[in-house]
Order: sequence, then structure tokens, then C-alpha cells
Amino acid sequence: MDFLIALVGKDFVLTAADSASARSIMRMKSDMDKMIPLSSHALMLLAGPVGDCSNFGDYIQANLKLQALTNGFEASTHATANYVRKNIADALRSRGAYQVNSLIAGVDEQDGPSLYYLDYLGTMVKVPYGAHGYGSFFTFATLDHHYREGMSLEEATDVLKKCFLEIKTRFLMNLDSFKVRVVDADGIREVEVAQP
Amino acid sequence: MAFEFGGMPQFEAATCAHRSTSKALVKHNAGADVDEDEQQFTGPVPMFSLPRTDNPSEFLHQYSDANPDSKVKIQFAHGTTTLGFKFQHGVIIAVDSRASAGSYIASQTVKKVIEINPYLLGTMAGGAADCSYWERVLAKECRLFELRNGERISVAAASKILANIVYHYRGMGLSMGTMICGWDKKGPGLFYVDSDGTRLTNNLFSVGSGSTYAYGVLDAGYRWDLSVEEAHELARRAIYHATFRDAYSGGHINLYHMKETGWERILNMQDVGPLHYEYEAMKEQSMATTAD
Amino acid sequence: MSIMEYNGSAVVAMTGKECVAIAADRRLGAQAQTVSTDFQKVFQMGPKLFVGLPGLGTDAITVSQRLKFRLNMYTLREERDIEPKTMINLVSSFLYERRFGPYFVEPVVAGLDSKNQPYVASTDLIGCPMETSDFVVGGTSSEQLYGMCESLYKPDMAPDDLFETISQALMNAVDRDCLAGWGAIVHIIEKDKITTRELKARMD
Repeated sequence: MDFLIALVGKDFVLTAADSASARSIMRMKSDMDKMIPLSSHALMLLAGPVGDCSNFGDYIQANLKLQALTNGFEASTHATANYVRKNIADALRSRGAYQVNSLIAGVDEQDGPSLYYLDYLGTMVKVPYGAHGYGSFFTFATLDHHYREGMSLEEATDVLKKCFLEIKTRFLMNLDSFKVRVVDADGIREVEVAQP
Repeated sequence: MAFEFGGMPQFEAATCAHRSTSKALVKHNAGADVDEDEQQFTGPVPMFSLPRTDNPSEFLHQYSDANPDSKVKIQFAHGTTTLGFKFQHGVIIAVDSRASAGSYIASQTVKKVIEINPYLLGTMAGGAADCSYWERVLAKECRLFELRNGERISVAAASKILANIVYHYRGMGLSMGTMICGWDKKGPGLFYVDSDGTRLTNNLFSVGSGSTYAYGVLDAGYRWDLSVEEAHELARRAIYHATFRDAYSGGHINLYHMKETGWERILNMQDVGPLHYEYEAMKEQSMATTAD
Repeated sequence: MSIMEYNGSAVVAMTGKECVAIAADRRLGAQAQTVSTDFQKVFQMGPKLFVGLPGLGTDAITVSQRLKFRLNMYTLREERDIEPKTMINLVSSFLYERRFGPYFVEPVVAGLDSKNQPYVASTDLIGCPMETSDFVVGGTSSEQLYGMCESLYKPDMAPDDLFETISQALMNAVDRDCLAGWGAIVHIIEKDKITTRELKARMD
């Protein structure tokens, strides 16, 4: 039921995730943070069983931090995404898979803003915009329609708002609160987007 | 695989051979259980011979596409995008035209709008045979109503006839998700009817595997006071976006406009192949203008 | 649903006169949902050698990376480019190592050998090699591709003729497959140059 979404703008990546944590027919928590920073300029959004997400997220975050410490520099977004992919793909053919779908958003000097779509099988693809979960069925058309290359933060936020509104009107589950973050040259920051 | 209808004739053979002995042989009539008043709405419907088992639907299930082990798949045309909405100038109906059998594209030129009569249209999603057959039956019922009553049937009544028929066969494996749209004394009418027996009316519906994508466009662009051109473009765009994201929708767009004077065909099999590049060009143009 | 049909793919390779072509579609799907129309399924493995990896998306990435690693080791040890014939053996033995837990890909190899003779071959997902003199296909559209190739293929085509033929074969094949298409890419390999073209295709 988790919903993740992200889009690449002119010099940033705008990301959002719903903040509901559901168990069976119950909502256990309404302010869940489904994002985890992997470096000063890379953010991972995770969807799937809460246990898998938090374990996998923490493991990746710790290892990337260790690598940054030993190497003396932080990995690029591309390298980060590939590292995450390898962990998912290796786990799939060993102990047992991590059932996590993810989006990796980052900004670096070489590539500027970039976004990677990964699923629990370890399929990875670089995309201008992406979404995970049932919400993706309701928002992909909106993204296809309104997304433009090199949008400003204001324009990107408008597109995101359209997606939130569609989720609210069509999706059976009441997803009404979203956490929105921006990754840009200054790092990762949370932004307030008026909820529909 | 979908074309292997080889399993079907044995229904006939089995039922005929045991006609005299079998208690399980049932000749079915959709109108048989309906009371006198409703009889005039649901006149004689052809009889269907049922498989000679205690549970016909279970027997049928093993040959339907719901059973992955079966080599005989009697369903066809599962993926679809259809939509319909009412607005100030009538009702718009738009559909794609892909028929798939598994992941094979069986046709890109299927007509998924059934022209019941000049004032009624029906859309097809789910089993192609079920939709086309029962909407043809509906067409007959509507004509009979006209002859008996000297006036056109209402959209509500027409959709109710269809809902009653399919409800009669609930659990037997019918598969259809349809919209019945028309114009009657009350103005524009739009009903959703499916094989579970659901019958709903609303201003806006989309049905099929691509419906979630179509809704994404429709919900954002829909208003009651849409102009005729805006409405046509909204419907066309909604179908296009669904064909882009949904693997099982595609081919061509058919678009109808229902007015007080009856339906009018606005788009006749518009190919979505070139349409994608038209929309891409529009996108690039809007990007160029914002950059200026 | 079969794991080989989860993402959707179509790859085809064809021989010509002193040239060879390999083409693939661009779609990455999650069953019915199209996720990307820019997914790489063909990988360059040498100056005149390409490998196409239709099948499960994640394994296409993994296999391409691991093959590239083995190939680099080979090239370092031998101090020369690999022959396409050797490449298919490398692919084959690599896949058979996973006989009881296979990678879900059906590799297609296309290249010119050291004598600039065209070579195409493919293997199944556990590494059974198949060499042909005309064309090889793989992916969810393979039946459609066989039909197209059987009817369009002529021996000894010139590069531009080969490009037209392989493009028509691929485009018309994926137009009869729900799960593949959304653009296509074609590589034409000649002895002194490689031409890569993106095809404008139906996006439904």
C-alpha cells in the first residue's frame, strides 16, 4: 500500500512518500518516514514490509557511510544506486530476498540531479520520474502528461500536488499525508506541500 | 491458445447424449424466473445448454483463463481501456481497440463500442463474446420495448435489463464490465454494469486494465461545463495515456458523442501510433515557450 | 505468469554480407505496467561484438556485468579480443554454472570474427548454445520474430539492406506483443564501423 514518487527537476530531485504504516486493516502509525539519507546528497525511498525496509535501509546507509569514511569521499548517485542494486540482487539468490522497492534520488557534480527506479528483484533503471506502489497506477498518467524536462521547483511541486489530489480522489486507501523532500546541491531538505 | 475452442463442443455432446436420463441437464432461460411485470422487459432469451454436472460454473472454471493449467482459454480481450463521462453537452464515450490473448496481440482494430440503437451505446471490457452477445440481446429488448410502448426506453431501464440478465448468471463465469450510455427524457444517461451484477450511475467512469491511468487524466481535467472540443480532447488524451502505460491497451481510439439527437461518431479508429508523437511535439513546443 | 515474461523483451540478431546486426526493444515493464522506455538490453562486449540479454530485467543487468568481468579477464590473459565463437562458449559455461538456479535470460550474441565473417548465436537460459547462419531471436516476442525473420531474411544483405530488414522484423514483431516494444535500438556492425540507430516505433 506504500506509495513513493519522485521527479527530476532543473537542478534538484523532488521526492515524496506517504506516511501511513498499515498492518492488516489497521493504521499503526500516521507519521512514518519512508526515506533514508544515504549520503549528504542522496536519498533512498523505500516501500515494502517495514522490517525489510528498515533493516535494508540501515544496512545500506551504514555501509555507504563506512565507504565514504575509508575512501575519503562520498559515492556518486550512480555508484550508490548500483551498490543498492547489487545488494538486492545478491540477496535475491541467497538467504532470502529483501522485499523492498525503492527510488534513489541524488545530486552530484558529475551528473547533476538523477533518479533511479529499483524493484525488489534488483531491476534498476534511470528515469526522469518514477513511482512505486498502487499509487503509481493513478499517478503515472498525470506524470506523463505534466512532466517537462528542466522544471523549476515550483512547477515540479505543482505536478506533485496533482498526483496527491488524484491519489486522494481515486485510491481506496485513505492516503492523505505525505512527506516531501528535495535533494539539491545544498543537500536534503524537507519542504511543506499543502496536502489536498 | 485463446483460439482453442476445442473444449467447448463437448458441452453440447454431453448434454444431448444424456438428455433423457440426466437430472442435471438444465435448459436455461434468462427470463424464466422473472415475474410478470418484468416479463415484458426481458422477453425470451435463447436457451443455453449447460454442462451435465452438479456445478456448471466449476466445470466451466477449468476451461477458463482463471485456471492457469488449462490449455483451453475461453476468455478473450481482457485488457482494455474504456471511459465515459457526462457533461453539459451530453455524454462522451471513448475506447481503445486492442484485443489480447495472453500477451499476444490478437487485434488492434476491435470495435469496443456497441451501437445498440441511435440513442444507446454500450462499451466492452472483459470477455469479448460475453459483452457483444449480451449487449446484442439488450438491443433486441430495447427494440421490443419501443414496439410495445411506442416510446424509447430510458437509459436506466436499459441498463437494468442488462444488469438483471447478468445477475441471473452470477457465479457462472460471465466476465464483462460495460458502460451503457444514452439520451432519454431525463437527458444524458450513463450507467456502469458489470458481471457481478453491479449497476451504478455517475458522471464519470472508466473500465478496464488501463482505467487507473485514464482516471488520472480524467479526474484532473473533468468539469461539467467542458466545451465540446475540450471534452473530446480530454477523452482522447485519457485513452492515449492509458495505451502508453498499460501493456494490454492500445491500437486505435474510437470516440462517440451522445447528444439529444442521438450519438455521433467523432473519432473513427484514430491510430495512437502517430498520436504519441503529436503529443510529444506539443510537449516540446510548450517547453520551448516556457524557456523563452 | 512466467518469470521470463515479467519485464517483457525482444532481441534479434541477423547476418549480412561482411556485416551483422543486432536489435532490441526498449521497454521495461512490471507485468502490464510500463515503467521505462529506455532500458538497455544490448551490451557491447568488444570492438565488433555485442550481446543481447532478453528475459528478466534484473538478470540482464547482473549477467551483463558478470560477463563483462569474465571477458575482461579473458582479454587481459590472452592479450587479444575475444572471438564471437569463444564468447558464446563463455556465455554458455557461465550460464550452466547456475544450472539449478538459473539466470532468466536467453543471450543473443552477434559479431564479426577476426576474419570479419558475420557470426550470430544464442543460448537458452541454462546455456545450451545454438549457432545459425542466418538469424537468432529471443524474448517474449520470439514467436513473432521467427515469423518475421523467416519471411524477410535473405542471405548476404548489404549493411543498409540488413538494417531495413532487421528493423522491420523487430518492429512488426513487437507490434503483435503486448509486453515488448515502446521504441527500438539497432546496431549494425561492419568491419570498420558500428552504426547505432534508435527507431521511432509505436508507443502502445
